Amino acid sequence: MLQAHSLLWNYLWVAPNILLLVLALLIWKRGLARQLPAFLAFAIASAVGDLAVFIADIAPSVSAVNFWRVDWAALLIESLLKFVVIGEVFSRVLKPYPSVGRFGRVLISGSGTVLVFVAALAAAYARTGNTARLISGFHILEQTVFIVELGLVISVFMFASYFRLSWDRLAFGVFLGFGFSACGYLAAWAIVSNADPSIQGRTLLDFLEMGIYHFCVLIWCYYLLVPQKSSAPKRAPALPEHNLELWNRELERLLQQ
Amino acid sequence: MTLAIILIVAAAIGLIFIIRITVSQKLQIAPSDLATQIQPIDIEAFRNLVDPAEDEYLRRRLLPAQFRTVQRERLRAMAAYIHTAGQNAAVLVRLGQNALGTTDGNTAQAAHQLVENAVLLRRNCAFALLRIYIALAWPNGRPAAALIVHGYERLNGSAMLLGRLQNPAAPLRISAGL
Repeated sequence: MLQAHSLLWNYLWVAPNILLLVLALLIWKRGLARQLPAFLAFAIASAVGDLAVFIADIAPSVSAVNFWRVDWAALLIESLLKFVVIGEVFSRVLKPYPSVGRFGRVLISGSGTVLVFVAALAAAYARTGNTARLISGFHILEQTVFIVELGLVISVFMFASYFRLSWDRLAFGVFLGFGFSACGYLAAWAIVSNADPSIQGRTLLDFLEMGIYHFCVLIWCYYLLVPQKSSAPKRAPALPEHNLELWNRELERLLQQ
Repeated sequence: MTLAIILIVAAAIGLIFIIRITVSQKLQIAPSDLATQIQPIDIEAFRNLVDPAEDEYLRRRLLPAQFRTVQRERLRAMAAYIHTAGQNAAVLVRLGQNALGTTDGNTAQAAHQLVENAVLLRRNCAFALLRIYIALAWPNGRPAAALIVHGYERLNGSAMLLGRLQNPAAPLRISAGL
């Protein structure tokens, strides 16, 4: 069952991409495209790219070199769009908080710069092995992209968590999917790029990656399509008395100044 | 292989962090419990600590070595106050966010103002704490913690306004008690 080109293999490669295309269609139909245009573009490009790689993999007329070229093109487009989506979602999170907007952008841009530097260092120390440059370069680029992606996702989560910024459902769902995929893919590509696994091991890692991708697409479907449970109109609790007394005293003192 | 292990460990830590964030989003503290998390701050003592005149007085009266020792103690106390102010600001962010959805325009406006002030204070607290930790190594300089006192006072004003709009009876009762 856990063999390359088995039924499960083909299902895990094709089904999440079809699901992602359906999700993109529903995003468009429900008018969410205006809220998350970059994510819509990512969903379409990522699904089409992955399906193109699948066709290149099974089509006998496509040579090995051309397969890797298609894979390279899909990876470059997908990676570029991922970073645009991260920027889009972060802007969405910051929008209601102008007082920390500029600071947040500077902080995350700074984190991005440091992460690119770290990823470049990791790439410099990666083992290229005996594989062709086209393939080893692809592995290293995957590793680089996922180091930066995971770092950015964690930075944004930490920033929002420190300032207790509230996430809307769409933004949180998109970031959660990126976070899970970045963790799983980074671990998998770190092994592929640096530990030279056997063919059997490589196939198992492929299954792991495809499973994670499927899981992430399901997360996006859940957060983007299932509406949030409506709660009763909120009434915030009254502030504790001892603080109000203190605050009131302070205010009185300020007025008397 | 070492690099692979480092990256796998980093990915595992990242995964744990993301799961923690997801769980904390699902299990947010009930609004009624939030208010009890606010810790009172003695503003007067805090103001004395950050008063530049106090610094000058101590600098003139004490030997340099004694001044540095005393100043380090004062900086630690200042850090404790700022940490508490930051924690209170975080609680007030949540309280303000809970009130944002109300139908009353004035209350929503006050809640928005409270959230803005609290977020700003939290940012300033982070900067002030960073400066204090640097100043602990070199206690002759003084961190600009007065900004925090001002920010905290402004936050108090926003919180009072929101409290008054949400529960008009309470502030009147408190004022009467003064």
